[in-house]
Amino acid sequence: MKALEIKDLKKTFRSNFLFKKYRILKGIQLSVEKGEIYGFLGPNGAGKTTTIKCVLGLLFPDQGEILIDGQPAHSVTARRRIGFLPENPYFYDYLSARELLFFSASLFNLPAAIVRDRVAALIHQVGLSGYEDLKLRKFSKGMIQRLGLAQALIHDPDLLILDEPFSGLDPIGRKDLRTLILSLREQGKTIFFSSHILQDVEMMVDRVGIILNGAIRREGKLSELISRSIQYYEIVCANIAEKELAKIQPNFVCRDDQFFITLASDADINLVVESIIHNGGRIAAVNPVKMTLEDIFFNEMQPHRPATTAGGADGARTSRSEGAGRDNQ
Amino acid sequence: MIPGRLLAVIFMAGLLLAAGMQNRYDATVNYFGDRATFVSLPSGKALKTLSFGYSNLAADLLFIWSIQFYSATYLTNRFDFLERVYDTITDITPQYKEPYIIGSLIMVYEARDIPMALRLLDKGSRHNPDEWFFDQDAGYYCFKFLKDYPKAEFYYQRAAAKPGAPAFVKRWKAHLVYLNDDPGAAYRMWLEIYENAGDAMEKAAAFNHLYQIKSEIDTGLLEEKIARFRENFRRWPSSLVELIKARLVSALPSDFSGNDYIYDPEKGTVTAARIFRWKRR
Amino acid sequence: MKMSMKGIAINTFKESARNKMFYLLVFFGILFALSSKLISFLTLGDAMKVLKDTGLAAVNFFCVLIAIFTGINLVYKEIEKKTIFNILSKPVSRDQFIIGKFLGLALTMLTALAAMAGIFFLFVWMSGGGFDLKIILYFFMLFLELLVIVAISLLFSSFTTPILSFIFTVSLYLIGHIMWTFNEFKTVLRVPFWKHFVQGLYYLLPNLDKFNIKNEVVLNTAFNPWTILFSVLYALAYILALLAVTILIFRRREFQ
Repeated sequence: MKALEIKDLKKTFRSNFLFKKYRILKGIQLSVEKGEIYGFLGPNGAGKTTTIKCVLGLLFPDQGEILIDGQPAHSVTARRRIGFLPENPYFYDYLSARELLFFSASLFNLPAAIVRDRVAALIHQVGLSGYEDLKLRKFSKGMIQRLGLAQALIHDPDLLILDEPFSGLDPIGRKDLRTLILSLREQGKTIFFSSHILQDVEMMVDRVGIILNGAIRREGKLSELISRSIQYYEIVCANIAEKELAKIQPNFVCRDDQFFITLASDADINLVVESIIHNGGRIAAVNPVKMTLEDIFFNEMQPHRPATTAGGADGARTSRSEGAGRDNQ
Repeated sequence: MIPGRLLAVIFMAGLLLAAGMQNRYDATVNYFGDRATFVSLPSGKALKTLSFGYSNLAADLLFIWSIQFYSATYLTNRFDFLERVYDTITDITPQYKEPYIIGSLIMVYEARDIPMALRLLDKGSRHNPDEWFFDQDAGYYCFKFLKDYPKAEFYYQRAAAKPGAPAFVKRWKAHLVYLNDDPGAAYRMWLEIYENAGDAMEKAAAFNHLYQIKSEIDTGLLEEKIARFRENFRRWPSSLVELIKARLVSALPSDFSGNDYIYDPEKGTVTAARIFRWKRR
Repeated sequence: MKMSMKGIAINTFKESARNKMFYLLVFFGILFALSSKLISFLTLGDAMKVLKDTGLAAVNFFCVLIAIFTGINLVYKEIEKKTIFNILSKPVSRDQFIIGKFLGLALTMLTALAAMAGIFFLFVWMSGGGFDLKIILYFFMLFLELLVIVAISLLFSSFTTPILSFIFTVSLYLIGHIMWTFNEFKTVLRVPFWKHFVQGLYYLLPNLDKFNIKNEVVLNTAFNPWTILFSVLYALAYILALLAVTILIFRRREFQ
C-alpha cells in the first residue's frame, strides 16, 4: 500500500467575474512509497500547493482520485494520519507555543497524559525549549516554522506533508530541518515535501516528482534520474603550456592557472591523462560531471518555459559546461 | 460529518418549528394590548433628534405604519394615541400634507372625534398658509357632522381666500352663507361666481343656486304681500297682477330665468317654475 | 469528535478574551449601565423605571455590538490569516468547525452578558430597586437574542467579507425588531401572491422583538408565561436552521 497515491488529478479555477477558467492541475499522477522522502519539485505557479491542498481537502478536485494508505483522502479519518505544515504558516498570535500545541492536540482527541509528554518532547525536538510560553506574536519566522513542524507531529502521523518547508530558513534552520526530516524517516515515517530550492531536495530525497504547468514531467528515484545522466567528464590539470594542451585536447577552459578539459566519453580519459603527464603537466582531478537535479529540472523546463517564469534556483553548484542550457535564460 | 441531506432537513425543520413558535407566540400575545407599544412614542422633537438626520424618513415610516395600524379594524381601542401619532409626524415634517388629510379622515370617520380632526387641520393650515384644502376639509366637517354653519362658513371663508382655491370652495362658501340665513349675501356671492364662471358646469351650478335663492327670496316676499292682501281684502288675489293694483308691490319679480312665478289662487302660494330641493338642512 | 469542537470553542473564546476591543466594549457597557443613575435624576416621578430602562438599554446595546463585531470577523479572519488550514487539515470536519465556533461565540457572549448583567443587577439592588428577578429573565431572553444574532453573523462571516457581513447582520437585526408590524401589513394586501410572499417573509426573517421584554420587566405588566416557552423554542429552532445552512454553505468553500 502506498503512503500517498494521486491519480489523474485535475483542478480548474474560475476567475471571479469573468467566466475565464484557469486549468491549474491537468492530470497529476504520482505515488509515494511508505518510509521514503519524496521531493515535489516545481517552479512557482506549477501547482504544487494546489495539489497538496487537494490532498488535504482544502480544495475539491474536479476529477481524479487521491488515496492515503489506500483510503480515500477526502474522508475526515484519512487526515488522522497526516501531519501538515503549510507554506508561510500562521498561527493564532494570541496563544503561546505550548497553548498552540495543546490546541492542535485537542483536534485529534488524544488522551491528556500523552499530550502533555508529547508537547514537552516536541518543543525540545524542534529546538524551542525555553520559548514555550512566549506569545506567538513575538516569534520569528524560523521559530514559527519550527513550531509548525511540532504541531504537524503532535499526533505522531505516518505521513508528513510539508509545503515549502525550507523557504525563509537560514542555513542553520535548513540544516536542522534536514536533520529532523532524516530522523523522521529513521522512525519509519513518510515525508512528502514541496520545494523549489533544488539543493535541499537533492541532499535528502529518495524520490522526486517534477511538476510543471500542472502536470508531472518526471518522476522517479533520484539516483536513477541522475545516474542516467552523466553529462561529461572533466580533467583538471596545470603546469602545461596552452599550446601543448591544445594539441592534446582542444576542449578546455583556463581559470586560475588551471585548465579544465571537457571530454565527452570516458574512453578518452586515459589517453588524455597520459599525454598531459608526458608533457610535464600535473593532473589535479578527473571528475565525472553528472547532471545535477538542477540540470534535470531546467531540462524539463526548457521547451515549455513561458516567458515570465521565475528561475528560482540559487545555483550554488554550477556545472561548467556549455551544454546545459542554463545560461540561455 | 453530518450528511448533507440531514442538514437540509434540519434547516427546513428549524424554520418550520420557528414559524410554528412564532405563530403560537402571536396567538397568545396581543401586540397592541398587552404589549403597550405606545407607552413610549417619543414626541416629534425627540424623534427628530433620535433619527439622526433621517427624520423625514422616520416621519414617513411612522405615517406608513399608522395607515396600516389604523386600518386594522379588528383592533378595538387603537385610537388612544391617535392624536399623538399624527402630532408627532406633523411636528417632524409640518409641510408634509398627507398626514393632516389622512389623519383627519381617520379621526372623523373612524374615531369619530371631529374636534380632534379640526385641531389637526388647523395645524395644517397654520403650517401651510397657502393651502386651501385644510380649511376646506375643516369647513366640510363642520358643515356635515357638527352642523355648525357659522364655523363652517368661517373655514370656507378662509379657504376661499387662499390662492388657487377652486371654484367649488367659493360655491360652498356662498351656500353656507345662505344656510346661515343671509340669502342676500349668498345671492351676491353666487352672482359673482356666476359672472366669473370658468366653465359651463360652474355657471350652471351658480345659476341653480341663484335661481333658487332668488326664487326663495321672491316667493317669500310675494307670499308676504299675498298674506297682506288677504288681510286687507279677505280673499286670495286672483292673480299676482292684483298685487300691483293694490299697490303692494311696484312690479312683479321674475325668476332668475326671467319667467313669471306661478301663483295658485286657491291656496295663495307662489312657486317657481323650477323646483329645487335643497333640503340639506 | 466532541473534543475538537470543544477545543475550537475554547480557542474562539480565548481569542475574544485576549482582544482589547472586547474588554473596551464590556467596560463601556458597564459604564453606560451605571450612568443610568445620573439620567434617572432628570426625570420626574418614577426614577427607578428610568434607571432600569436606561441600564437595560445600555447592556442590550453593547451586547449586540459585541455579538455583531465578534461574529462577523470570526470565520473571515481564520480564512484571511490562513489559520484555518491548520484546523481543516486535521481530522476536523467542517461541521465541527462551525459548531465549535458558534459555541465559542456563545461562551463569549455569556461572559460579556454575565459581567454586565451581574453588575447592573447588583446596582439596581443597591439603588433600592429590590431583588428583581424579572431582570434576570430579561437577560436570559437577551442572551437568546444574542445567540440568534451571533448565528446570523456567523452565517455571513462564512462566505463574505466583514463589511458586507456587518451590513447584512445589522440590517437583519433592525428588521428583526420591526417584524411585528408585518402582521398588520399582511391584512392590507389583497392579491394572494403578495399576501403569501409577505407571510413567508414574516416567518423566514428573524422576529427579534419577542425577546424584548423590557416593558414587561420595567413596568411589571402581566404577561403570559407561555410566551417565554415559545420564544425559547423559537430561538433554538431558528439557530438550528441558521447553523445548518451555514454548514451547508461552508462545506462548499475552498481555500486557495
